[in-house]
Amino acid sequence: MTMLDVQDLHKQYASQGGRPGGGVFGATFQLKEGELFTLLGPSGCGKTTTLRSIAGLETPDTGRIALAGTVLFDAALGALVPLYGRDIGMVFQSYAIWPHMTVFENAAYPLKVGRRRIGSAEIRRKVTDVLARVGLESFIDRPSTQLSGGQQQRLALARALAREPKLLLLDEPLSNLDAKLREQMRHELKRLQRDTGVTTVYVTHDQSEALAISDRIAVMSDGRIAQIGRPRDIYNRPSSEFVAEFIGRTNLVRGDLAADVAADGTADVVTAAGALRCLFPVATSARRGLAVVVRPEHVTIHKQDAPADGSANRLDGRVESEIYLGELVEYVVATDAGAEFFVRTAPGKPIAIGERVRLSFAAEDTVAVAP
Amino acid sequence: MTGQQLGVAAPVRREKRGFAPFGMSPGVIALALVLLALIVPPTIFLIQTSVHETNADGSFGALTFRYFTGLFDNPRLLDNLANNIVYALGSAAVAIAIGTTLAWIVERTNTPMRRWVFLLSIVSLGIPSVLYTVSFLLLLGKAGPINDLLRMAFGAGGPTIDVYSLWGMIAVEGIDFSPLAFLLLSSVFRSNDASFEEASLMSGAGLWKTFKNITLRLATPGILALLILVLIRAFESFEIPALVGRPGRVYVLTTDIYDSIQTQVPPNYGEAGAFSIVLLVIVVAMLMLYNRISRRAERFQTITGKGFRPRVMDLGKWRFATAGALVLLFAILIGLPIAIVLYASFLPYYDGVHLATLPQFTLDNYRHVWAGASFRGSIGNTIILGVMTASIVGPFTALCAWLAVRRVRGGALLDQLATMPLVFPAIVMGVAFLHLFLHLPFPFYGTLASVILASSVRFLPYGMRYSYAGVLQIHKELEEASAMSGARQTTTFLRVVLPLVAPAIVTCWLFVFLVSVKAVAMAILLVGPGSQVVAVTLFDLWDNGQVTELSAMGVSWTALMTTVSVAFYLIARRYGLQVR
Repeated sequence: MTMLDVQDLHKQYASQGGRPGGGVFGATFQLKEGELFTLLGPSGCGKTTTLRSIAGLETPDTGRIALAGTVLFDAALGALVPLYGRDIGMVFQSYAIWPHMTVFENAAYPLKVGRRRIGSAEIRRKVTDVLARVGLESFIDRPSTQLSGGQQQRLALARALAREPKLLLLDEPLSNLDAKLREQMRHELKRLQRDTGVTTVYVTHDQSEALAISDRIAVMSDGRIAQIGRPRDIYNRPSSEFVAEFIGRTNLVRGDLAADVAADGTADVVTAAGALRCLFPVATSARRGLAVVVRPEHVTIHKQDAPADGSANRLDGRVESEIYLGELVEYVVATDAGAEFFVRTAPGKPIAIGERVRLSFAAEDTVAVAP
Repeated sequence: MTGQQLGVAAPVRREKRGFAPFGMSPGVIALALVLLALIVPPTIFLIQTSVHETNADGSFGALTFRYFTGLFDNPRLLDNLANNIVYALGSAAVAIAIGTTLAWIVERTNTPMRRWVFLLSIVSLGIPSVLYTVSFLLLLGKAGPINDLLRMAFGAGGPTIDVYSLWGMIAVEGIDFSPLAFLLLSSVFRSNDASFEEASLMSGAGLWKTFKNITLRLATPGILALLILVLIRAFESFEIPALVGRPGRVYVLTTDIYDSIQTQVPPNYGEAGAFSIVLLVIVVAMLMLYNRISRRAERFQTITGKGFRPRVMDLGKWRFATAGALVLLFAILIGLPIAIVLYASFLPYYDGVHLATLPQFTLDNYRHVWAGASFRGSIGNTIILGVMTASIVGPFTALCAWLAVRRVRGGALLDQLATMPLVFPAIVMGVAFLHLFLHLPFPFYGTLASVILASSVRFLPYGMRYSYAGVLQIHKELEEASAMSGARQTTTFLRVVLPLVAPAIVTCWLFVFLVSVKAVAMAILLVGPGSQVVAVTLFDLWDNGQVTELSAMGVSWTALMTTVSVAFYLIARRYGLQVR
């Protein structure tokens, strides 16, 4: 069942000081009930504007937003449900925990100010429940100013979930935490979302966070959605050069395609590094200047005299440098044709800097995308 | 059907915004109109007065420029301007020298008792300028204890201090302003991150080179901005030129304006207007310079954040020497002035400090002050004036500041309008409101309400700075989180915005209260028989030579205000607000 339906959302900001203003230009997507959907992109790509439009903190110029079949905004009909009338919980980037209230008062606020009257015993029970869910039950009567960053984050989450909203919005919720805590909270967020089953829109600029946490991801760029898909598809089968470069580390060479290819077909692309057998996730007509992308961990590095391993693509070169990353090693290899390739592999290979090597990678890991 | 819906729906959405010229909401427009109504009429009357003959009945006569040409023909203008410049520069040098010393000791050393300096500086805010000035006149006057000591040391023919001179004015004004200079400079010193200096030391620069190239360079914009602020204040100051300069025949622009109205018969309103406009132009020019420099100072100060810590120097045994310096400075800044007026307040008449007067000590002055209807009246009036001014300015500027900080359309305009009165020196604003009130068709001049109105306008900019800083501390998402919780706008305002802005409104209220009750320059032109205020009463008592009553009244009032100042300090500290 479709929980959230966003159709052709437009919001243009006024330009400032000669620079054109940013915004969103035609975002369309649907969320199934219980789904965790991530809007991912660099700053200024329109992901936060999209989120704030769903929340009702911004009014879009055109488009339509519906939640569980109820229209929240429709420019064509002139319909606009005010933000306090939307059944949505939100966690802000700064957490926005009110310093003049206790932990209990913060979490109870949505239950007290809503249109529905709830008895104080019921409020107490619900708040205790939701605080227990985020592990804050022992802090219930503390002043909220005494909480640490991670605890404030949990409280913000508890507050957003307190009135069991149909939709949960998370605006870069982990960006203010330190690295260790951030990884821990990822797991907790995902567990909490699964347990409560709340449909969630998550905004982040951190691609590894998006890959780790999401059911589906929408990658945004310059106010438009570049690609929507499951994390694996986004990573392995990017539909554009922007998506390929934005998600994870990648090798990119340019080349020309001689004949048209259907979607999911393979064909040779003539690049500066030589002809490479590539996978085409979308149907592509013959053209010049295609981008061919290969993930560094999909490239196998061999000593030059090693036997061929049956991969479609092979390149010879010389190791320029090596970085030890703990769980893996990254090599930079200059190919004989003059391209530079990153290779990631498990440590322990007896390969030295300056040594001649052979790189090999499969056709399905070599993705050709339009620039 | 869809077409019809489209055709109807689009205007419906637009209608929801209602009446909104320039995209501003009616509320914002109403606030802007109120501000314009407060600022524009006095300005117009000030300009009108300077270019029209004034008839005997107070109405405007023919258009004339003779007041302006008269000014420039008058050799006194240049003399007085020169006095003004020497006075301003001299007092700025004194205030900054004392202020820098205090700020360095408090912020950068481990001197014992250094935390008390803040409290004492705040206390000094509560002492009326007239009383403070008078206390120095008593200390340094011909029959005062300092000259007594000089005579004891050098004999009757030896050197004596003549306080009624330009030098006297400079000393008193400089000392008067130094606590505020300290408060402003301490933030400059505090915002210097030690890592800047450490980076310089690590680059191989010595201590002196580091101080010269880093510490001083970083503090320069802050000190420069303060210098201009002190200069502006010296140009505007009235109490000290009137009480110290005039008896010694040293005149400056503010006393010229005062004399044109209060000493000449009939009052020469045109000349006062022309003098006022000259002063206004000078202050506007300096304020523009101040804004440019203080923006640069802020840019230098914004580098804080992670790992920020100011360096505190361990002075070793020398910290007792700096503690001694603190004690000495505050003996001069607060101890001696309070001591001498306290002493004078117990005497039947004052003629210097002698042991022989001890048996004559009496509480008569206090009895007289507290029993006298006119004294009690002026204390009552002053409290009403302060409470009303603060109660108008506090909430009003809080609302304007909130709209400005939240970037509501027209909010920036409100901010600018509320800051505008800053360009009017107090005495000029007094002249402007005087003319406005005289030309009103109903009797308003001389009433307490008129003084409250004028003083509310005068202190709008001060309130605005406090409120703005307070609202700025409230993250916008705190309000958005409330709306996302399902709260309507009024609920959000009452349960989230108001509790969070409250500390800022309270400190703003107290600050405006404290500064509005001690101001003389504007009130002296506006008060009538039924609307006497303490500061003006003290001024009149000095003119009449009633030193002992003045002292008793001043001491009583200062005790009351000290209580308020300490409350102010404690509240500000409780909420972590910066005291400025």
